[in-house]
Amino acid sequence: MEKLDLILNINNKPMDVRITPNDTLLEVLRDHLDFTGSKESCGEGVCGSCTVQLDGKPVRSCLTLALEAEGCNVKTVEGLADGDKLSPLQESFVNHGAVQCGFCTPGMLMTADALLQQNSNPDEDTIRKALSGNICRCTGYAKIVEAVAHTAHPDDQCPECASGIKSCCKTKE
Amino acid sequence: MTDYNIIGTRMPRVDSRAKVMGKAKFTADLKLPHMLVGKIKRSPYAHARIISIDASKALALPGVRSVVTGKDTEGVKWGVFAYTRDQQFLQTDKARYIGDEVAAVAAVDEETAAKALDLIDVTYEELPAVYDPMAAMASETELIHAEFPNNINIHVNIDTGNVDENFAKAHYIREDTFTAPEESYFQAEPYAVVARFDSDDCLEVWCPNGGPHMKSKPLSNSFKIPLHKVKIRRIAIGGAFGGRSEICPADYICALLAKKTGCPVKIQFTREENTIGTRQGHSMITTHKTGVDKEGRVLARETTCYMDGGAYSSTGPIATSVPFLSMEQAYRMGSVRYNGYRVYTNKPIRGMIRTHGRGFAAGLDTQLDMIAEHLGIDPVEMRLRNSRQPGEYTSTKSLVSSCAMDETIHKAVEKSGWKEKWGKLPPFHGIGIGTNSVQTGFPMGIRGGSQSFIKFNEDGEATVMSGVVDNGQGNENMLVQIAAEELGLLPEDIHLVNADTETTSSDPGSYSQVSTFVGGQAVKNAAANCKEKLFEVASKILKVPADALAAKNRMIFVKDAPEKCVPLKKVVRVALTNFISVNAEGGYWPKVDMKREWVSNPYGQMCEAFSFGTTIIEVKVDPQTGQVTVLNCVACQDVGKALNPLVLEGQFEGSVAMGGQGGMLTEYHEWKEGRCLNPTMLDYKLPLACDMPPIHNIIVESIEPKGPYGAKEAAMSIAMSAAQAYAGAVSNAIGVYMDSFPLTPDKILAAIKKIK
Repeated sequence: MEKLDLILNINNKPMDVRITPNDTLLEVLRDHLDFTGSKESCGEGVCGSCTVQLDGKPVRSCLTLALEAEGCNVKTVEGLADGDKLSPLQESFVNHGAVQCGFCTPGMLMTADALLQQNSNPDEDTIRKALSGNICRCTGYAKIVEAVAHTAHPDDQCPECASGIKSCCKTKE
Repeated sequence: MTDYNIIGTRMPRVDSRAKVMGKAKFTADLKLPHMLVGKIKRSPYAHARIISIDASKALALPGVRSVVTGKDTEGVKWGVFAYTRDQQFLQTDKARYIGDEVAAVAAVDEETAAKALDLIDVTYEELPAVYDPMAAMASETELIHAEFPNNINIHVNIDTGNVDENFAKAHYIREDTFTAPEESYFQAEPYAVVARFDSDDCLEVWCPNGGPHMKSKPLSNSFKIPLHKVKIRRIAIGGAFGGRSEICPADYICALLAKKTGCPVKIQFTREENTIGTRQGHSMITTHKTGVDKEGRVLARETTCYMDGGAYSSTGPIATSVPFLSMEQAYRMGSVRYNGYRVYTNKPIRGMIRTHGRGFAAGLDTQLDMIAEHLGIDPVEMRLRNSRQPGEYTSTKSLVSSCAMDETIHKAVEKSGWKEKWGKLPPFHGIGIGTNSVQTGFPMGIRGGSQSFIKFNEDGEATVMSGVVDNGQGNENMLVQIAAEELGLLPEDIHLVNADTETTSSDPGSYSQVSTFVGGQAVKNAAANCKEKLFEVASKILKVPADALAAKNRMIFVKDAPEKCVPLKKVVRVALTNFISVNAEGGYWPKVDMKREWVSNPYGQMCEAFSFGTTIIEVKVDPQTGQVTVLNCVACQDVGKALNPLVLEGQFEGSVAMGGQGGMLTEYHEWKEGRCLNPTMLDYKLPLACDMPPIHNIIVESIEPKGPYGAKEAAMSIAMSAAQAYAGAVSNAIGVYMDSFPLTPDKILAAIKKIK
């Protein structure tokens, strides 16, 4: 198949890439550009591990052609932190024990980050519904839901805040 | 109460930062120069003789670097035990299930590799196949393995004696049969392996594993190279749940392709391959016959279980025993006879899984509920009358030291409001209880123990080397916490080198729930030995005896006068300048009965500790749709000591999801003539965030005398007891004791219809 030259805007940086028209966004991110944070788990759009954002909307990058991402702002898990400084959502995932094996984590974060951009005040049901396209086999979701909820509503009652090891709630001080 | 600095805290895991940043590398993320893509050609037949394999067309395809078949393997066979060595990594004579490995290619890219697979011409002669254990045992057609009559792969027989006599004395006897089909792991990470031979002809491998040393030995045997030349590397692992402990044929095939081509090779499984070509859970048909006295105490039990083992042995002897062991640990029985049969069928290979024996265990608890109803006893009371007590021996002669089974029952009952709910809930609303016990270790032969090395760096920080692997459960963090606690350092001062067969000593792996108990204890002992050396040096600096010293927060100080102190870093530097080594090693070897063997001698001390768990579930069933809504879950386990409650709670919650919500409501495989009809996430129903009930975790600490800080197995008892509690709750809601699991809406509706 004929190759195409494309410029993708990934995490606010333009990237030149030579693709074949049937390359998925996930293949281009992982294989061509070495953004291996996005994971392939099911390869058919069910598990959400490959979730990235296109102009703020969560999409399955395994079902999205790289061509479709042209002209969009592509945000991957590598674009969440500001250098070494984790985003409040990432920080909350760490502090609430929302990460176990970590394979679903990048996709989970991208879905949750998109939710919080749209709705800064989601209740638990909204969070659970929003995350229901992301399959996690380790956690039973409880700590993930907690981590998202605490990013939206920092809470002094949270045992992670009370433990004193790390402050998980930024507004506490 | 012992005053720990780091143990027992809700410390966030050390590995999570890299994971939330997308920086943690999993096997499929690896790229090596000149790396080729490997792919495996699998049998399309459930049982077929391989007549010929012609790879000439595939080899002629541009971009194909190598094709390997069984002929290249020199007939190497794999089996966990000497008596179960029945699996070739590439079949030479026949294929035994749809998915069996028959050939493999290495090519420059995935597309070429896939095309090449199609060009490999395999001629088969189809043979009659069998798809369920009962048919397989009765079959008069060609055996799946010629040396196993009636297709019986493993028979475990346990008999404590007096079973028939005690049945004769029983006040009430019940016999019931329970079934459950196969389930799968669905680890988030599909299986992947990267292999290469380096410039010193050493084989270097990256792959998900339940213990790197369990992978290196079969590779060393197969390639006939010394163990030190097989380097299994540490890599992030996306879940295991018991499914990644053994060597996978792909490991060998990948290494073989790397050897043939002289290039690194990566094999990445599709989701379907991960389901079909790794391991699955066993389907089981279990009959429990139980005789009790008037008070409901079990006098005699006879259990017979037929397990569909699939095409090869895998961990067969262990898999055939563990459901029984969990039962005999959890419940006292006056006498018991067990016959477990693992039977070969022409289906994918079955191994150990987190809720291994869900039908076995849920059946047992369902039967206890039936007996309780007959005797007019509350199910909770029924369990308390039969629950394991500390200081007792199990039926197969293992001493149970720490045991807070009753406390887990009492605490779960209280938290769930059982007393206000049992028998008082509205129609189609139910509550159920499950109790279980899981081993902290098995006799593992030469790999039963773990050793650790710790070296100090001149900045006062430490490098800890341990063979323990992290499959996602938090083992790496556990090692860091233990090392930091013992050495008096902070977690960020510990650099962990683990799960690498080149630099770390033998270790049992995360297999058998033993990582903390054995591997963690080895690190603890190594750190204690380091500390002894550090204190010798510090005692000269502080001019006090070494035994007067303690270490905490990077300082070594006099216990009775903490203001007299010296930074640990300074002690290290003084030691270095005086040519005194403060590095040390330490190990742990559990005292189990080495003569205990799964089949030939299933008696004696199994492991040093057992955990005990109780789960209580409350559900509502929609009588129109058969849909179950789980309203509440209380998960309570005696874990010995919670080294990190934050991590532990996550394990409890994950166990409820896999053991209960998935394991008892939605997860099972469907088949058509040996072909799995739902191998992908689209068709196999895994629990989602919106499905999960609120989970209340209760941690009970019995302080196991032999465990590190008192710790033992954590959360597997929840996975098992959750399955039992879900079953009990649904049965209670609909007023029918269910005997076929999982409890899908069709089965529930049929049961409701039957009583109407």
